[in-house]
Amino acid sequence: MKSLSIKNTAVSALYFIASMAILTGLWTLISIITKNEIPGPLSTWTIFKELASEPFYDRGPNDKGIGNQLFSSLSRVFSGFGLGSIIAIPMGLLMGSSKIGMRLLNPIVQILRPVSPLAWFPLGLLAFKAAEGATVFIIAITSLWPTLINTAFGVASIPQDHKNVGKAFGFSKWKYVVKIMLPYSIPHIITGLRLSIGVAWMVIVAGEMLSGGVGIGFFVWDSWNGLSLERILVAILIIGTVGLLLDKCFNALQTVFSWESK
Amino acid sequence: MKNIDKPIQFADSANDFHKLTRNTSILINDVTVSFKGKKGEFTAIKDINLEIKKGEIVSLIGHSGCGKSTLMNTISGMVSPSKGEVIANENLVKGPGPDRGIVFQNYSLLPWLSVYKNIFEAVDSVLKDKTKAEKHDIVENNLSMVNLMPHKDKLPGQLSGGMKQRVAIARAFAINPSILLLDEPFGALDALTKGSMHIELLKLWNLDNRNKTIVMVTHDIEEAIFLSDRVVVMNNGPEATIREIVDINLPRPRNKKEIAHDPEYIRVHDRLLSLLFEKLSIED
Repeated sequence: MKSLSIKNTAVSALYFIASMAILTGLWTLISIITKNEIPGPLSTWTIFKELASEPFYDRGPNDKGIGNQLFSSLSRVFSGFGLGSIIAIPMGLLMGSSKIGMRLLNPIVQILRPVSPLAWFPLGLLAFKAAEGATVFIIAITSLWPTLINTAFGVASIPQDHKNVGKAFGFSKWKYVVKIMLPYSIPHIITGLRLSIGVAWMVIVAGEMLSGGVGIGFFVWDSWNGLSLERILVAILIIGTVGLLLDKCFNALQTVFSWESK
Repeated sequence: MKNIDKPIQFADSANDFHKLTRNTSILINDVTVSFKGKKGEFTAIKDINLEIKKGEIVSLIGHSGCGKSTLMNTISGMVSPSKGEVIANENLVKGPGPDRGIVFQNYSLLPWLSVYKNIFEAVDSVLKDKTKAEKHDIVENNLSMVNLMPHKDKLPGQLSGGMKQRVAIARAFAINPSILLLDEPFGALDALTKGSMHIELLKLWNLDNRNKTIVMVTHDIEEAIFLSDRVVVMNNGPEATIREIVDINLPRPRNKKEIAHDPEYIRVHDRLLSLLFEKLSIED
């Protein structure tokens, strides 16, 4: 068993390396075709090493290390995502547990869900009178939908069997929520959170481009103004990798909380 | 052996006599149940009258879809009659209650709770006045009654069908209901497990001085005869009614092997067969 899992890990690693090789190959090809207008992997790597050598320097408001930018983005993403989840989970539980709630709230969800984060930004500015608040606001309002919808779906799909247990043994409302509703829907909620953190991380770049200040999105915009495409490419790769890691974290969380696989 | 058997048999017939004078446990009064479906109203059972005495074991038998589960659910309170009423323990049934323990067809254990916790939550919810230690003792006693103490920390997913069924039965017994409702409790079990589960159930019933009323839905004739005092045969639905009530006058405790040669067993078995099947061979 153990040697088998080691073999599997080794095979996965090989596939990952091969996949990265394809990406680098395509990238080099595009770079050659565009006559180096888009920088190739090598020159990007040089810039990356330069940026990574001193990630946390701070030389004034518009000149900070890439690590600083990243952490400021992450903290913004997590406050927006956290805020969104605090709203989304209780609302989802409510929607899922009552047919009336579902029918009343679902149209609102369907109308607000497809709205682009950029469209929310002015409203955020108006409400918070500051770019920082507006950014967190747009992250919250665009990332809460997957959690909301998944939570509601999870609760609504509690099998009659489980509900019957609560009825037959006279569970109190509280016991029903804690022992039946939440345990059943937690895997669904975590799936929702996983999708939501993905959305939140996607929104951050757009948000920070508008708000300015510090952050990976601002870094991209600043690099464009400084005409350093290598820095933009470094940022893109960092954004992608962080997104992948966030997804992996929530994936792990999903395995921990899934009672179905036990 | 014979000497031991005799007095029990005497006690038994006395018990049976006592049953005649016993209180009514369940009274089903002119009950009709209709459901509103997509194609209009569907009447599952119609004008059912049935009286069940305290301590009786009664089986409801019939073909699939004949409404036997519906009839039982009116006793549990999961289904409310469209017409008529059900009285259990001298109270009008308005919904599920802790005086009626239910063993569901598909066990209905909560998959995220351990065996122990599954029973504990039911006990905790029903026997509110007991201390935590008392509840703990009740759970453990009931687990040992069904020989599941070694498995108390497992999740239901790690148990076999027979073990799950024993947990469901232990859970229903743990809240000490005066009426026990079993919905095809052994339907999903293989014949061997089923046989030993029958003995387990009667053992639990005996331990409680045969005071619990047991109503069971089944489609197994042998099971119904072995366990019951009376077998209620239902007509095919829709609008199912009671076709006939067959008394099983076999002395208790019954022995699975010996009972099969008893003339009364053979008579009852034949009667039930002919009630349930119009065709008994390909020549009919």
